[in-house]
Amino acid sequence: MPDGSYAHPQQRQFNPYTENGGTILAIAGADFTVIAGDTRQSEGYSIQTRYAPKVFRLTDRAVLAVNGFAADGNMFVKTVKQRLEWYRHAHAKDMPLRAIARLIQTMLYARRFFPYYVYNILGGIEEDGSGAVYSFDPVGSYEREACRAAGAAQSLVQPFLDNQIYFRNQTPAPGTSHPTHLPLPDVLAIVIDSFTSATERHIEVGDGLEMYVVLAKGRSTQELASIRGAQELTPKEGGDRIFVIRRELKKD
Amino acid sequence: MDHFPTNWGRPRNELYDQYNTFPLHHRPANAQNAFADGVQRTQQPIVTGTSVLAIQYQDGIMMAADNLASYGSLARFKDIQRLQPVGTRTIVGASGDMSDFQYIQHILDELTTEEFTYGDGHDLGPAEVHEYLARVMYARRSKINPLWNALLVGGVENGKPFLAYVDLLGTTYSARSLATGYGAHIAIPLLRTAVDNASQLLTEEEARTLLTDCMRVLFYRDARSLDKYQIATVTSAGVSVSDQLKLDTKWDFAEGIRGYGSQTQ
Amino acid sequence: MNTFAERFSVSGSAAEIRRAKEVIGEDDDFTGVMWGSAGGFGNLSKGVPTFSVPSVPDPTDFLRLHTDDHADPSCKIKIKHGTTTLAFRFQGGVIVAVDSRATAGSYVASGTVKKVIEINPYLLGTMAGGAADCQYWETYLGIECRLHELRNRERISVAAASKYLSNLVYSYKGMGLSMGTMICGWDKTGPAIFYVDSDGTRLKGDLFSVGSGSTFAYGVLDQGYRWDLTDEEAQELGRRSIYAAGHRDAFSGNTINLYHVKQDGWKFIGNYDVSEMHYNGPGGTGGYGYGVRVEGRTSANPAS
Repeated sequence: MPDGSYAHPQQRQFNPYTENGGTILAIAGADFTVIAGDTRQSEGYSIQTRYAPKVFRLTDRAVLAVNGFAADGNMFVKTVKQRLEWYRHAHAKDMPLRAIARLIQTMLYARRFFPYYVYNILGGIEEDGSGAVYSFDPVGSYEREACRAAGAAQSLVQPFLDNQIYFRNQTPAPGTSHPTHLPLPDVLAIVIDSFTSATERHIEVGDGLEMYVVLAKGRSTQELASIRGAQELTPKEGGDRIFVIRRELKKD
Repeated sequence: MDHFPTNWGRPRNELYDQYNTFPLHHRPANAQNAFADGVQRTQQPIVTGTSVLAIQYQDGIMMAADNLASYGSLARFKDIQRLQPVGTRTIVGASGDMSDFQYIQHILDELTTEEFTYGDGHDLGPAEVHEYLARVMYARRSKINPLWNALLVGGVENGKPFLAYVDLLGTTYSARSLATGYGAHIAIPLLRTAVDNASQLLTEEEARTLLTDCMRVLFYRDARSLDKYQIATVTSAGVSVSDQLKLDTKWDFAEGIRGYGSQTQ
Repeated sequence: MNTFAERFSVSGSAAEIRRAKEVIGEDDDFTGVMWGSAGGFGNLSKGVPTFSVPSVPDPTDFLRLHTDDHADPSCKIKIKHGTTTLAFRFQGGVIVAVDSRATAGSYVASGTVKKVIEINPYLLGTMAGGAADCQYWETYLGIECRLHELRNRERISVAAASKYLSNLVYSYKGMGLSMGTMICGWDKTGPAIFYVDSDGTRLKGDLFSVGSGSTFAYGVLDQGYRWDLTDEEAQELGRRSIYAAGHRDAFSGNTINLYHVKQDGWKFIGNYDVSEMHYNGPGGTGGYGYGVRVEGRTSANPAS
């Protein structure tokens, strides 16, 4: 009740949160973005299932990865999808990526006093055709970045990405410079290495890996042709395209 | 403005640290482990049911639960059915608070009745029932007034088996073998070995033997379990819940155990 | 649509949705506009932000139990925090300088945070405290400032904008918001800075620094501050002050963002790496670092 009173006494010791492990990450390239997550869902030391997706396609150019408390995450994704559908009905087009990012901020902040225990990473293609990653904290602060890891193994993976993507603490050979964006095959290799390594060192990471690749409109898909099992999710050609690539991770 | 970042984002507690006199790293903590403690302290499950087991097999889904509803450590009600058919091709198995389960049975009944009255040829399958339960459970946890249960929902839809879990927090997942409560620790390793790792699906005979074995193992070690149980199957032919079954158990090995208490020889 | 009969009937689609909402417990009461042009709005679709609060006797205690940083590592919901910010007024306008580190507990959650929030071309806000609180409410302030312009045919004054914010956060006092911000801009009265925090404090002043590194920044700022600083001197002072905080405060660092507000609005001066400042300095001509200044010096060979 707004006046501080309660309709009936509610004296309980109930923890509405739990932690379901797992790790997500996203890396933006010049004209593509890779968003990935493992598929293990656990609680404490028990593995609940070996396949529970944490990465979800929102539109033809936006993919959202959620990590933390699985029930909050799933429900959050559902409501985001619902809002995006309403937007489609009103505007007859998909919401642009940067607008989805702001929408997610306001939706998370609406729960400022009863937060979603969810770390969100949004990846996709901006209206100008560039790859983009937006990362959020549980109550909605966000920024656009080139790469971000979140979840159980973020402290294992993020330093690796800082080194391999941002070239932190690496000095280029004399007369050369670090590239601003890596090519897609390199990024995929880094993502796979990140997860196999996190699986080795973190008990909550493993079982399976799902990588979503969002390609900007008109971009060649040739690099994906050589990737085993790349499966296209977008039905129409001539727009941005989303592919999913699945890999096994160790299950112990 | 409080200039210690340690204190930011937290509502202030003027009660014990009005002037921020605590050194940075010695702020009073909420509890030793707020997360774990919170999970342990239950609301008020009074009459409870223990594990439910379920697996996918050749013809569909098989689920098992014993017939006990405990009142604390007292084996209070010994003929409680914890497997509830919903509609024509869904089974819901419940562990946790039995009164909350009865409420769930009630709302599921209302739901199917309402669905029936439309007479539009549609009825609810396992996926719909699970989604509905997940929404209800999550909504109640969000009101900090949970339905204290862990539920398994199984069924067959268009020839495809469906098996999923939902609990008091609204957490959901699915797998080929699932178990709640103690079963998640004791039976799951056995179930996964026989079901998930097998090259082909079990026959009904094998599935029944497997679940019976698991119920027996649980009865040996779970102090809140009973040797009377039921097995439900959902196949494309429909749902059927068995009559009460009894585990045949062997305790004669106890004769050979030495070393406990006064029995040292 | 919303006829009387439909609203109170016990059958039909409206009643069905109503019943479903009762069981599912959807607390957001969606209005018709959500389906239309406001479909993309978050909690702002009703015009005013709406928040859900846990139904426990003390929601503040609930929040304290679950959201925290390294004071209690067992709390899993870690909220990002901002750390050193400063702003000062001088003859050439307002200098705003901030670091870019965000910490969640002892983890450096990000080193690339934008702690200067561009409210509109004439107003800047800084971020210290909860990152989301600052981002959200200062964006919201931007909306209100634009509405003020539309209603009054003139730009909002810095005083009015900051008062709007302070009244707003004051209405949430005790709920757990955490922000220490400086609203900086140029209006009819010239350059202006107002300090606003989540306790409801609002102060007009020439010079402020906020955050855990503020003491270090003040040390440099106070000894170098004069009203008649040139633009270049003022920018250097801001940069040097944040460097000092980044160097000495563990919760501050990574890079410096520098802004200058003049009569024609704010201008982004640059982004400077703190370690780069330490070793090489802004022009690459001499670092701020202690080691650089004493290099090669011994007692036998002191600096003159």
